[in-house]
Amino acid sequence: MHIPDGYLDLSIAGTFFVLTVVVLGYSIYRLKGEKLTSLFGVLSAAIFAAQMLNWPIPGGTSAHFVGGSLAGILLGPYAGALAMAIVVTIQTLVFNDGGITAWGANVWNMAIVNVFLGYYIYQLFSRFSRSFSAFIAGWLGITVAAIFVGLEIGLSTSFAYGLTITIPIMGIWHAILGVVEGMITAGVVGYLAVRRADLLEKKEVGKASFALIAGLIALSPVFAYLAEAVGYSEPMENAAEVLGLEEHSLYESIFPDYTIPGLDPYTGTLISGAIGALIVLSLAYAVKYARSSRKDA
Amino acid sequence: MHVVLEKTLKNASSYFQNFFIHEYNQRGILHAIDSRVKLLSSITFVILAVSTFELEKLLFLFLSLILVSAILGVNLKSLIKRVWLFTFFSFIVVSPFLLQNPKYSLIFTLRVLIALLAVQMLVMSTSFAEICFALRSLKVPELFVHALWMAYRYILVVFQDIINILLARESRRVSKGSHRDLWKKGGESIGLFFLRSIERAERIQLAIASRGEKIFGTNAKLGMLEIIYITLSGFIVLWWLIL
Repeated sequence: MHIPDGYLDLSIAGTFFVLTVVVLGYSIYRLKGEKLTSLFGVLSAAIFAAQMLNWPIPGGTSAHFVGGSLAGILLGPYAGALAMAIVVTIQTLVFNDGGITAWGANVWNMAIVNVFLGYYIYQLFSRFSRSFSAFIAGWLGITVAAIFVGLEIGLSTSFAYGLTITIPIMGIWHAILGVVEGMITAGVVGYLAVRRADLLEKKEVGKASFALIAGLIALSPVFAYLAEAVGYSEPMENAAEVLGLEEHSLYESIFPDYTIPGLDPYTGTLISGAIGALIVLSLAYAVKYARSSRKDA
Repeated sequence: MHVVLEKTLKNASSYFQNFFIHEYNQRGILHAIDSRVKLLSSITFVILAVSTFELEKLLFLFLSLILVSAILGVNLKSLIKRVWLFTFFSFIVVSPFLLQNPKYSLIFTLRVLIALLAVQMLVMSTSFAEICFALRSLKVPELFVHALWMAYRYILVVFQDIINILLARESRRVSKGSHRDLWKKGGESIGLFFLRSIERAERIQLAIASRGEKIFGTNAKLGMLEIIYITLSGFIVLWWLIL
């Protein structure tokens, strides 16, 4: 479920980073003034711990709980999204589980799509049965989040598999594993309904902003498609093409395209690479020297 | 429930092994560099790695990161141990393309490897508190950073809680039960666990309210060491860009 660095095109990673920052920023704005640091901190740690449980499924394999829908049901969508974003951030920065450039996409899938969708589905069906609606919220939340993962990597040209492969693989597999997510979400909600029903009360979300975020979630695949349609290439190369610098360059580098004029490309690349490495080496030794001078002082 | 416990503890032991060793105790020169500089340079290196498919650029970046790590005191053996598994996994993912386009498979794997190296250079030389300080200095909202730091500190405590709950249930169990039973009872156990966590959070919040909430200062200055490291990173970026 966690997308590593290198799987997404920067255009798609950037699109989801912006969308995530907008929704998380709004969530923080909504929660401003409430003293909630410890609630987020401890509950994020609790979700993290619950994710480490390995639930056996028939056939000898096992699945782990993600908890996005549960976070939404317990804390409301804004606080739930923030708690899940904290979990994803720790996984990225401590365990390398998910990439830094893919942080936006990972938070979008697991902390925004999963949490908001889970919360909404739970509220929609909870009047009939709390446990049933929690099951559907847990199951559908994780399945749709996985479909979003398939969509993001499938649209990226860096990843050689297309949408026709990535979406079914992620979607079908998580629809099966998602049954465990649904069962556990239902079990937790059923237990809390008896012990602390106040935790399951409907949260104040604001209809207009909630509709706007739902719209962003629904349209995010279109944004990703458009970002990809702009064309994947290095931003610097795009800028150079627009300015016409490819034909009339302002600066002829010493080693154009890692070659040395007059030498065959292979020797040129070898020598220019060696020169670059030598400069890095000397600068690294300069850092080392600066550190020993700081120590002496 | 014993299957859950066994599988979880097995998984958790390797996870927590990472957790404990990620704050790498062998202090090299890289440790002394300001966390803000390291965070930004690592992010830059990752962006450089994932924004090209040119083998020359990637090889230059790979060699530079290895050289810098070795000279600045990061143990290369530990570094490779931390990155090989996911690099290998990525290679397996793209291996169906090995015959028709071997260059793509190689470059894709190299991009992932370099990105992992860049992040590990940060993780192995920076405590989580320093990373939180860097995030706060870079204007990431206070609520988010403080909660991030608190979650990190409480992971072990709450994990102990959940294991205790599962062990207690397991010791009282008399029948084997189906998978369905297991998930249902498991859900109830997690329900109890979340309830305890919420109550713990409420107590902590009261304690914090009585003591004050400021956790991170933001007034560290950059010295010569940082300036040279910025120059080094800047050179790597420049070389990657113009050649």
